[in-house]
Amino acid sequence: MKKIVSIALTVALMAAVVTGCGSDKGAAAGGASGIDSAALADGVLTVGTNAEFPPFEYLGDNGEPDGFDMALIKAIGEELGVEVVVENMEFDSLVSAIGSKIDVAIAGMTVTDERKQSVDFSESYYNAVQHVLVPIDSTIATYDDLKGKTIGCQLGTTGDFIIEEIEGATSQQYNKAVDAVNDLANGRLDAVIIDSNPAGVFASKYPDKIKDLDGADFDFEIEEYAIALPKGDTALQEAVNVAIKKLKDNGTFDKLVDQYMQ
Amino acid sequence: MNNIETKFYNAFIVNDRWMLYVKGLGVTLEIALFAGIIGIIIGCIVALMKLSEPKKGRKHTLWWYLATAYVDVIRGTPAVLQLLIMWFIVFSTSKNGVLVASLSFGINSGAYVSEIIRAGILAVDKGQTEAGYSLGLTKGQTMWEIVLPQAFKNVLPPIGNEFITLIKETAIVGYVSLSDLTRAASQISSRTYEAFMPLIGAAVIYFILIKILTLLLEALERRMRRSDLR
Repeated sequence: MKKIVSIALTVALMAAVVTGCGSDKGAAAGGASGIDSAALADGVLTVGTNAEFPPFEYLGDNGEPDGFDMALIKAIGEELGVEVVVENMEFDSLVSAIGSKIDVAIAGMTVTDERKQSVDFSESYYNAVQHVLVPIDSTIATYDDLKGKTIGCQLGTTGDFIIEEIEGATSQQYNKAVDAVNDLANGRLDAVIIDSNPAGVFASKYPDKIKDLDGADFDFEIEEYAIALPKGDTALQEAVNVAIKKLKDNGTFDKLVDQYMQ
Repeated sequence: MNNIETKFYNAFIVNDRWMLYVKGLGVTLEIALFAGIIGIIIGCIVALMKLSEPKKGRKHTLWWYLATAYVDVIRGTPAVLQLLIMWFIVFSTSKNGVLVASLSFGINSGAYVSEIIRAGILAVDKGQTEAGYSLGLTKGQTMWEIVLPQAFKNVLPPIGNEFITLIKETAIVGYVSLSDLTRAASQISSRTYEAFMPLIGAAVIYFILIKILTLLLEALERRMRRSDLR
């Protein structure tokens, strides 16, 4: 019996080695895309996301990441002629994973100068402003009202950075935005700062507990969402920008907006 | 080389970021210490419950069933789920995160400690108990004066082991937005977009902490063994 197992293992191992070599050869031949980019050399675009950010990305009913960003990057992948593989990971580790674990990241990510030091960005594909979720009976209405309050956010998001700047405010950082909203509903937090689209989704989940305030009333800056790309990979950047422009021109982009945002 | 210096500077020096690790270490220690104390108290009580002697004709006492159910449930579920349940369901309105986490880890640790203590008591030779009875000591006196002091020596190494595990297990409190040492490393890498320095830094701090603890435990064990050499 043991012998059979060891033979089976040996066969499996050899099969793995052979297929491993096979895919190496595929890589050496260059991807199908014809774009001179190290990220696409294997014919696969590995995309990192954090599927905790509806409607841009969330886990669909089949357990796979779904949402506006996912549909957009798949359309871009089609334009580039590469296969898109999605890796779901923590938001705060996305940027540092580019170039090693993933090729690019699309996760409703705002273009910031700090991030630009580590990665390049595509053209922005969406404009958003941070929103403030507060308990339904809260008196918070302006930026000054947030001072000294306990405010929740998702670790490493724009909301996190905004709270850092607010005088005397305590930042409670969560792995998932939904956990922060949960704690807001439980009365642990005075406010939660997150992006406008998920804010609307969450507020509609707790209509009798939470209200959704527009960040424009708090003088938050308008942010641009873009795809994070490996630093210095101009060929890929150019190809992605061309693809985005094409999708906007041929109406695919607007169709996705209708499908996911409305 | 310059690159490494910049990374180090960004991860530890700029904006007094090292303070985040120090505060995180404080939270880690606070939770581990409270949880350790709660765990040992629960562990002792539960171990004695499990060792309680049933009336004639019964297999186990009611205490035994309660204790066994507790140990089964705690050992049968992941610590991180227990923490999330404590935070979002049981104490969903408590704002004292350290307290909720300490309780959660304490209740978790208690199950493991109880088994360690039970094993330690059972490892004391039956003859010791019999000798106690033959000298006219009561059950309680025999347990307290004869069995437990010997059991203590037995359980010291595994209890130390459990406490070390506990310290490292607290690394999951980031799930409920507490800023412990591990979370401090995530916070900094979410600022610098660079994972190496903060992660290695936090790992080194954990290692030093546990090395110190190990040395203290070894010293205590040596002290306990003195009576063996008569």
